[in-house]
Amino acid sequence: MSLAEPAALPVAAPAPPRLHIARRFTTRFKASLPAYLLLLPSLIFLALFTYGAMGRVLIDALYQRATPKAPLRFVGLDNISAVLADSAFTGAVINNLVYAVGTAIPSIGLALLFALALARTNAVTSALRAALFLPVLIPMVAASALFLFIFLPNVGLLDYYIGRLLPVLPNWLGDPDIALYAIMIITIWKNAGYYMLFFLAGLQAVPEDVMEAAHLDGAGPFMRLRYIILPELKPTFLFVIVIATLNAVTQVDHVFVLTQGGPSNATNLVLFYIYQQAVEHFDVGKASAATLLTLAALMGLTALSFRTMANREGGP
Amino acid sequence: MLFSRRLMLGLAMAGSMAAALTVPAMAEGPTEIDLFFPVPVDGKLARDMGTLIKEFNDGHPGIKATAVYTGSYDDTLIKTRASIKAGKPPAAVIMSANFLLDMQIENELTNLDSLIAADGGTKDQFLGQFFPALQGNAVINRSVYGVPFHNSTPLLYINADKAKEAGLDPSKPPQTWAELTDWAKKLTKREGDKVTQWGIAIPCAYDYCGWMMETLTMSNGGRYYNEEFGGEVYYDTPSMLGALTWWSDLVSKHKVHPPGATPGPAVSTSFISGNAAMMMLSTGSLTYVRENAKFNYKVAFIPRNVRNAVPIGGASLIIPAGVEADKQKAAWTLIKWMTSPEKSAWWSRATGYFAPNMAAYKTPHMVDFLNKNPDAKTAVEQLDVAKPWFATYKTVPVRKNLEDEVMLVLNGKKQPKEALVAAQKAADETLKPFNAETSLKLP
Repeated sequence: MSLAEPAALPVAAPAPPRLHIARRFTTRFKASLPAYLLLLPSLIFLALFTYGAMGRVLIDALYQRATPKAPLRFVGLDNISAVLADSAFTGAVINNLVYAVGTAIPSIGLALLFALALARTNAVTSALRAALFLPVLIPMVAASALFLFIFLPNVGLLDYYIGRLLPVLPNWLGDPDIALYAIMIITIWKNAGYYMLFFLAGLQAVPEDVMEAAHLDGAGPFMRLRYIILPELKPTFLFVIVIATLNAVTQVDHVFVLTQGGPSNATNLVLFYIYQQAVEHFDVGKASAATLLTLAALMGLTALSFRTMANREGGP
Repeated sequence: MLFSRRLMLGLAMAGSMAAALTVPAMAEGPTEIDLFFPVPVDGKLARDMGTLIKEFNDGHPGIKATAVYTGSYDDTLIKTRASIKAGKPPAAVIMSANFLLDMQIENELTNLDSLIAADGGTKDQFLGQFFPALQGNAVINRSVYGVPFHNSTPLLYINADKAKEAGLDPSKPPQTWAELTDWAKKLTKREGDKVTQWGIAIPCAYDYCGWMMETLTMSNGGRYYNEEFGGEVYYDTPSMLGALTWWSDLVSKHKVHPPGATPGPAVSTSFISGNAAMMMLSTGSLTYVRENAKFNYKVAFIPRNVRNAVPIGGASLIIPAGVEADKQKAAWTLIKWMTSPEKSAWWSRATGYFAPNMAAYKTPHMVDFLNKNPDAKTAVEQLDVAKPWFATYKTVPVRKNLEDEVMLVLNGKKQPKEALVAAQKAADETLKPFNAETSLKLP
């Protein structure tokens, strides 16, 4: 008897339909009981640490204190409107949009380029792949600590080399116009190698015979890329775009280490804003409301991407 | 058969998990206490703390203290708050001196008066051991909430070799803003438009920036905040306007200070590498500079425009609210031991902070040390003109309200006046709930 196959149902004797359904249910439940039992440990931990926390956020978002010593009271959607009215939050959202677009496009573009260049496996490409993948292996916090020295104004590595070319040295992390881009460079450097892996896998799936046929028909490398490889990679693209967007919202380690959201909120991203509200302002209500808004936006985005993906996959 | 085997496996796994989750029974023995400690400056503080706690445990068999490293000052506040919320506060914490008021407002501190009384002394006797400048941040509403542990003041660090090169006498350091501006101009080296050596660097990152603004404002005759009441800050005032304008002039008018906001470690690196000839930094960095500078350096008071005055910095030992009585007593023993003259002096020599306990400077080791390192004396002498560190309701957000605007000014994006007006407005907004409960709660 295997768990993977549904248990064979006994042939239903003529009985009232309600009873029939009930018995069907119990039999089914009996059959799948071991499965539920085996899932139980994971379910307990999921409930405790994932769904429990999410439920708590939902409740916390509805409560607020009027003054520091006043008791918590139910305020409905006031926290959400307070967050939306906060210019620091809207600033963080705009920063996050710039950050998401500005990191996703270059890192995906670079990843595709690397993957195309290193698609064939031999000693040289293996070494290069490993080299490009290396930044993924470094924890973001450690990478940020390294970049702290690279970006050090006047005496850092970057200024040491670029300094000879520029008339005035930029203060990479101390200038609100530049800081966000400096942060973005780290993300691109770190993520491009990771996305390359997905494209390498995607390239393996491009049918050999189609490529050969195109070759025989006289399609040049560009034509093959444009009409065969890119269309075949569409699911990979969609998947990587979702991952890149999620990364743009969930990776703020470098903001913690390098700028703390500064100067003047120039590098404040949504997750860091939530952290600030929760632990600096000690405002759990507002932090929870901002979390809800972010979660809603992310889930909407993910659902949309996966639906598009499903349509493309299933469609003609 | 597969089914039952899987089931048994699952059950076995669940069983072992449950066993792992049950808490092992506590053994009888010494009172175990945790001490949260931050490492806010350059250097090897964590190792020194280990040495100190080991010595304490060896001398106190009834207590087993464990030092827990908790990151920066801000992180330490966050972790302490989290553990208070979780109902398992550490018995003692080395807490940034300006967070005490905020914590007291939120009912997160143990009032130490009764512990002092139980030892048979009065509050004045107890506080009398410490430099008067440090008491403002430890006493709230005439009750003691913290014991000063390691403290600092800002100092002017000068690269003496570069000063001599520029024809300046490092034994007569600048005493006024006018002299300092003049020095900075002479110490700045340019190649065309490009600056190869900056005259002076002053750090501006979250935390440091607010402290430097308080320093400059105080030496310009002003006050940063209401020392008696946590609901007011004085951002939009002539004294702070003068301070910020001068700082911004050093950047954009005289061009002797690197533009933008530069964090503390970048400033000290710049000074050590000779890229900046002078810097304003905490006394806490003195040991680091002493061990790393490959040139002669000199430390001096922060120059004045109106008066000599600086804020204190550093940290105090506190006992969070909700610590059980026996642990409280053990923590109090630890706190008294750590702030005793000998230990205080040892910690001061190891870190560069000055020792808050005045008797520490009479211990023979310390007298020797000061004779060998006269630069360590400057911070102590400057204590005569030191005043408390700003502390308000929600200190960190209120400070950030100012820092964000100062950063815009240093980047040339805003004029000092409009920046301070905006900072004042934002801070008043942050302080509003507290005022609604105190100063504006009328009968």
